[in-house]
Amino acid sequence: MAAILVYSDHEKLAPELLTAARLLAGGKGTGIKAVAINNAALAQDLAGRGAETCLINDAAILAADTAAVASALCQAAEKLDAAIVLLSSDRRGKELAGRLAQKLGAGSLADVSGLKAEDGKVQCTRNTLGGATVAVQQIETDKAVIALAARSFEAAPQQAGGKVSELAVAATAPSVRLIETRSKASEAVDLQAAEVLVIVGQGVGKEDFPVAEKIAKILGGEIACSKPVATDKKWLPEDRIIGLSGKKCKPQLALIFGVSGQVQFTVGIRDASTVVAVNNDENAFMLQMADYAMVADAKEVLEELNRALG
Amino acid sequence: MEFTLSKEQLLIQKMASDFCEKSLAPLAEQIDRDNQIPAEIIAGLGELDLFGLPFKEEYGGAEAGYDCYVLAMEQLGKVSSGPAITISVNCLGLGAIDKFGTPEQKAKYMPKACRGEHLASFAFTEPGTGSDPKQITTRAVKEGDHYVINGTKRFISNADYLGPMVVFATDDESGKPTAFIVEKFCAGYSISEPWHKIGYRGGNLLDVYFKDVKVPAENVLGKVGGGFPVLTYGIAFGKVGISSVALGGILAAFEAAAKYAKEKTHRGEPIAKFQAIQLRIADLAMKYEACRWLTYRLGCLANDAKDPMLFAKEAALTKTFVCDNYVEAARIAVDVHGSYGLMNDYLVTRLYRDAILGPQVEGVADMQKMIVAGVVLNS
Amino acid sequence: MNIVVAMKQIPDLQQIRMRNRQPSLDGVPYALGLIDKNALEAGLQLKEQSGGKVILVSVGNEEVEETMKEALAAGADEAYLVLDDDLADLESSQTAVALAELIKKIDDVGVVIFGEGSGDNYSGQVGPRVAEILGLPQVGCASHIEVNGATARVTRSLENADEILEAELPMVVTVLGDINEPRIPSVTQILKAGKKPKQIFAGSDLEIGLAGRAVSTISNLAPENARKRVAVGSVDELISVLRAEGFVGR
Repeated sequence: MAAILVYSDHEKLAPELLTAARLLAGGKGTGIKAVAINNAALAQDLAGRGAETCLINDAAILAADTAAVASALCQAAEKLDAAIVLLSSDRRGKELAGRLAQKLGAGSLADVSGLKAEDGKVQCTRNTLGGATVAVQQIETDKAVIALAARSFEAAPQQAGGKVSELAVAATAPSVRLIETRSKASEAVDLQAAEVLVIVGQGVGKEDFPVAEKIAKILGGEIACSKPVATDKKWLPEDRIIGLSGKKCKPQLALIFGVSGQVQFTVGIRDASTVVAVNNDENAFMLQMADYAMVADAKEVLEELNRALG
Repeated sequence: MEFTLSKEQLLIQKMASDFCEKSLAPLAEQIDRDNQIPAEIIAGLGELDLFGLPFKEEYGGAEAGYDCYVLAMEQLGKVSSGPAITISVNCLGLGAIDKFGTPEQKAKYMPKACRGEHLASFAFTEPGTGSDPKQITTRAVKEGDHYVINGTKRFISNADYLGPMVVFATDDESGKPTAFIVEKFCAGYSISEPWHKIGYRGGNLLDVYFKDVKVPAENVLGKVGGGFPVLTYGIAFGKVGISSVALGGILAAFEAAAKYAKEKTHRGEPIAKFQAIQLRIADLAMKYEACRWLTYRLGCLANDAKDPMLFAKEAALTKTFVCDNYVEAARIAVDVHGSYGLMNDYLVTRLYRDAILGPQVEGVADMQKMIVAGVVLNS
Repeated sequence: MNIVVAMKQIPDLQQIRMRNRQPSLDGVPYALGLIDKNALEAGLQLKEQSGGKVILVSVGNEEVEETMKEALAAGADEAYLVLDDDLADLESSQTAVALAELIKKIDDVGVVIFGEGSGDNYSGQVGPRVAEILGLPQVGCASHIEVNGATARVTRSLENADEILEAELPMVVTVLGDINEPRIPSVTQILKAGKKPKQIFAGSDLEIGLAGRAVSTISNLAPENARKRVAVGSVDELISVLRAEGFVGR
């Protein structure tokens, strides 16, 4: 049977793909191959997690050159006889998925949060209709390219049996030139790693943010927001957005203040273990999506909570 | 009979509401407080072709028809009545020029006002005149190739902007009211401070003084001594605008009341759970729907108003019904808010002040009912 | 140089109602996705910078022609459309083939712009697929585009870094929702939208046939709400809940 290939240039996401590949293979002897490009450390890491890892070393293949990476992975998939390619559904991975799938003649899906093999086909779970629904979609082609949402699977644990071997591919002419890379100034918060999220919406004011932040700190978490708070009001940087066009998180606790709860938002915390929502509109959809729902002025609750916890 | 909007109508409605949401809503309170419309709002409305929406492209308009005009004005009126009423008066003045003007007059005075670079005015009312044209005291005396106008006009909108003003004066030849196009801020033209009025703030009313204002004879609008049809036509079409602005106010009152009812809690329950509030919300919904379709219909009628008297009747009944209902709707919305409805921190106080103005302006309600009764009983 | 903007008609997401967890699309009007308006605005700004026409391309049922009026009103110069009720529900690989065929019919293409993901499906597959079919360079998640003669400089905004890239034209760019603020069309533009030039093709006019669906939908349901929905009356109560769940006083 054809193999499963996993690739992500993201050190935290690549080990998650490995777990997904193993679940999909189901111990049926399907080979799993990890690929790393110009990143020996990542290749070693994946090998340390038991993966047969192919390292492509070719300075001509820039990570930023989607066409070149797609070409390298296409060749790798052919050489390794892989029919299924798993990628990470971060911005880089989603962009790569379409190009690679087109090259391979594969069906593709991104933002996939669950996988299962069914009669030789792969079925993927993902949100559609702007997050209003969860669909199970089946890839009908013999080949499949699937980009998996971050934290949908645990990172593969350390285990023996892996090794790194080099794989040579024919480089293609570069399609883009990288002029400059600028790190983003914001303190690079990893919302998806936070166990507790204090999330504020338009029902609170900018003046309430220090209090919300303090509560987040007391509970050992991070502050996040709904989209309009960052894009329209610009009260928080955009990397704090939860929802369809922001981050999808699975915290232990989401404490949500003054968010009305449109699906484009709730899709981002649907997988939280416990959801607490405070809203002054008893009809706010957010309250229905909560384990604990409080109809009250979000600003006042923030203040009181801060006094009680602080 | 189809009660659906075309794609173009929907897009024009959406365009106006997008502009409101993005640019006008953030300034609505400021406009009400300062009684002044920021220049960037006038410019923004101009860029969207909202000042000359119903008029021919040839004269700088968008040629969208009064049906689309009504839809756009409702959205503006919902968010901020001052700019909306400014457009309404501009279209009232331009409407008269469009209907009675010569091609030269239209080409000279319409394009800039359709773009919002100039704003038109319509000056009939005087300190001692109600709605009776025979009572006007402003005089126009012919001297060679021009007229000399003297007199005072009261409560005139857009008088503090450059642009054409349709002025009614009794001319010495016919002894009857004649309409003239006067260029505002010409020699002899002066204005008072704006009146400190209760609502529709930003859409200012001023007194205008004419002291030996020289107007070329070619600026007579319509016929010498023919001011009356210009007046009735202009006033009737002005009602399309004011009805739409009031309709927007009703929608704002309705939405504000429904929102508050769902959010405000009493003994742990939102007040929307109480029947007394539910009945008021239902009243608001009924008023809005009734006024909405009556106003939309008036917009459609205005596109093809063949009989001026019949149209005047439809305009009078629509304006009166919608403005009266706005007063009631604003009052109901205040009631839903309880004591908070008396605080200027809540939108409904502004709506209440706006609403109360409606029945008094552009033809007081009783006068409108006389027009309606006159047409009904004489036909 | 012409700028191509690919747009998708999607159901108005605010108006979709759920019946027994099934989404009901009956009577739900179509609209342009928000991010498609950003793609169009990016195209219009490039046109202002370097001339040419903005040509929109779209594939879908007959309704697409009405839906695209909004984009023509906002400033697109022309539309190339494949209208076919049989093509109402294509998946990414099929849409990409159809769009690529349309784009091939357009002369002097400089930049082909997509939203980074459609408003309803958000998979982001079509743009990169079109780039591959046409053999063009691509930059996704763009927060800035600048054309200089025969090349373009595009900023790709990743989660933790911005990459400034340069490529030869023509190229494919997918844009982020925050790249710009879409302009509001004027009344005149809205009224003239219906009269702008349109090239309309039927599915059978496409030179190559579409392959079967590469992806099919097995089920599509509103998620089951397994939340407890316990009402909390006071902050004291809230704190005891947080304590009981182990979030306070750990």
